[in-house]
Amino acid sequence: MLDTLRQIETPEGVFLRLRAAGALPRAQAWTIDFVLRMLVFWAGMIPLSLLGRAGAGVGALLMFVLMWAYAVVCEVWFGGQTLGKRAMGLRVVSADGAPVTLVPSVLRNLLRVVDILPGVYAVGLASTLIDPYGRRLGDVIAGTLVIHGGELPAGSQVPSVAPVAPPPGLAADEQAVIVEFAERCAQLTPQRQQELADLLQPLTGCTGEAGVQRLLGYANWLLGRA
Amino acid sequence: MELERITVALRPRTAREAVDLGAAMLRAHARTVWSAWFAFSLPVAALCIALGWLLHWPWLATLLIWWLLPLFDRVPLYVLSRAVFERAPRWRETLRGQRQWRWGGTIASITWRRIDSHRALRLPMELLEGLAGKQRGERWRVLRRPIGTEASSLAFGCLELVLVIFLGLFLSVVLFIPAELMPDWVRGSVGGVARRTPEVTGALIAGVAYLAWSAIEPLHVAAGFALYLNRRTQLEAWDVDLAFRRLRDRWLAAGRAAAVLLLALVCACPHGAWAQKVAAPKKEEAPVTRIEDAFAVPASNSDKRFATAAAEAFRDPRFGGAHKDHTWVPRNWSWNPKPVQLGRSPFEGFGNVLAIGVKGLLTLLLIGLIVAIGVYVIRRARMPVIAAHTRGDAKLDTHLETIEVQEVLPDDLAGATHRLWSGGHRREALALLYRGCVEQVAAALQLPVEQDATEADCLRSARRLGDTQRRQRAEAIVRAWQYAAYADRYPRDEDFARLLDGWPARHGSAA
Repeated sequence: MLDTLRQIETPEGVFLRLRAAGALPRAQAWTIDFVLRMLVFWAGMIPLSLLGRAGAGVGALLMFVLMWAYAVVCEVWFGGQTLGKRAMGLRVVSADGAPVTLVPSVLRNLLRVVDILPGVYAVGLASTLIDPYGRRLGDVIAGTLVIHGGELPAGSQVPSVAPVAPPPGLAADEQAVIVEFAERCAQLTPQRQQELADLLQPLTGCTGEAGVQRLLGYANWLLGRA
Repeated sequence: MELERITVALRPRTAREAVDLGAAMLRAHARTVWSAWFAFSLPVAALCIALGWLLHWPWLATLLIWWLLPLFDRVPLYVLSRAVFERAPRWRETLRGQRQWRWGGTIASITWRRIDSHRALRLPMELLEGLAGKQRGERWRVLRRPIGTEASSLAFGCLELVLVIFLGLFLSVVLFIPAELMPDWVRGSVGGVARRTPEVTGALIAGVAYLAWSAIEPLHVAAGFALYLNRRTQLEAWDVDLAFRRLRDRWLAAGRAAAVLLLALVCACPHGAWAQKVAAPKKEEAPVTRIEDAFAVPASNSDKRFATAAAEAFRDPRFGGAHKDHTWVPRNWSWNPKPVQLGRSPFEGFGNVLAIGVKGLLTLLLIGLIVAIGVYVIRRARMPVIAAHTRGDAKLDTHLETIEVQEVLPDDLAGATHRLWSGGHRREALALLYRGCVEQVAAALQLPVEQDATEADCLRSARRLGDTQRRQRAEAIVRAWQYAAYADRYPRDEDFARLLDGWPARHGSAA
């Protein structure tokens, strides 16, 4: 099965699923960051340009900070997100899913020197396209990963129906999918709801709208509603 | 539709994740996609470049190749759409398949709809679903509504990536060829080179641009296709469908197994052979379907009833229908802003003062930094003996310390514990106290001491003690032991003394 997940098993036997981000969202996040930094630099240079050569010197310092410190500060102290990544719902974490710490963050940002070759990030792009988790060379060496941190599209509240006990013997994932059906019901047309409910006719014993209602009843029961 | 054969993990995704799924699909089928891509597009591109050369229009080749991209897009989509449900076709099959695929959408894309940022999303709808006329318009509105922005940003993102590859290829040539090896006229301005050999420059630019598009355009198509798959998963709950099918199959199989078991029991031995015959699972022929059926929206224009039902469904607010949009429009907009006159800066003097100040500050910072590094290095050089010593000790503490376990608890447990504690064996003291506590609790509850009881078990049984004071003491002892055993944290002397407070003088007697 093709997917972009990176699964990590914790010692407690819990599977963490990191949704690795690929080249396109990352390039867009970088573009946003780039434009923002240029805007800040430009806005800073307007008053600085009045100060002659001193202003140019301070401007160079500003440029340095924006180029090298901005990403590290954002990643370590602001939840692994630069402003561009925040806008795109991305987040830098270490490869095991823990928050990124100072040294890996500095390392991955220093290695931009390699990724930026030959001046337009072509090496970084090739690396993100080839790596299964969309890491550039800096990420590979620093042991970090860029993931989608945003919320998944959520279903709506399960409609309240008189709870009905489902037949015994349903596995946990099967129960979960019945609840998921109930949560996403509101996004489906009535015809499609019935089509899906008809698939479970051997389980529910009824078809059509009655089948849908029965499944909603199961979901209410599984959610523990009285 | 045969969702069971899908090779992509279906789950609810955000549109951006779907784009990455496209990249993953492309990575999995890279060889087939690109072999078909080059087999199809390389001759066309070569023809374009030759045309530009012969007509002495250096810009023509690049323009033509760009213009024909929607034509090339068919190839990756053909491969990927089949790879999703069955095996990826070889490049010969792909080229042969192009003849039977619909052309309407492609012709639109390379003529009046060439500048369309939603191309990657529209492509699968037009080529795979094959709806016609008004229905297609409705369908497009439904598909596009929440992800139109994503499709556009995908197109611009891909444009950016193409630019990166294009410039990257040129720049790496400049970077890796030593300047001495380049002829003199190349070392001048780019414009000079272009004027000197317009045909070569044009062909070169077209060739490199073609390579850049070859790298990124399949990604564009794959990402658009993944967006499309994701949207249909969302609209039709494909993942729930798949899980329901699996559940139904398991349910029916379980039911069948139960029935067979019953039958076998009822029929007993003489009819065993018959029962076995029933039990043998029927081998169903794998139904052969065309890929178009997998994606097709079940539509037939002749069926009037279906058409009205579909139209009604499309009007459903969940699908689209009428909705309001709000946009910002500038009120007084002019293309010719008034020019601003810049005078001489009045702050030059202040700037110079600031410059000297900042310079001094930076120098101080630099000196401070160097001194700090020097001090650090010198301290480091002096430290190793001490550092190694303490570190070795710490290791001994955590790894080599063993607790000598006495088989039988001493009669005067409190005294023995106290002796151990004051002798510096704090861990042993707490271990002994804990064991005593376990035995005491078990004795108080008149239960046997379980060999495999954990600290949590001990706490649980301590909670069953009637006497509040004894219960609290037992809990305090267990906690103190846990902190010592797992975290290397020891209580202070007075806290330890409080743990021993009121401990029975003789082992086994009541407190």
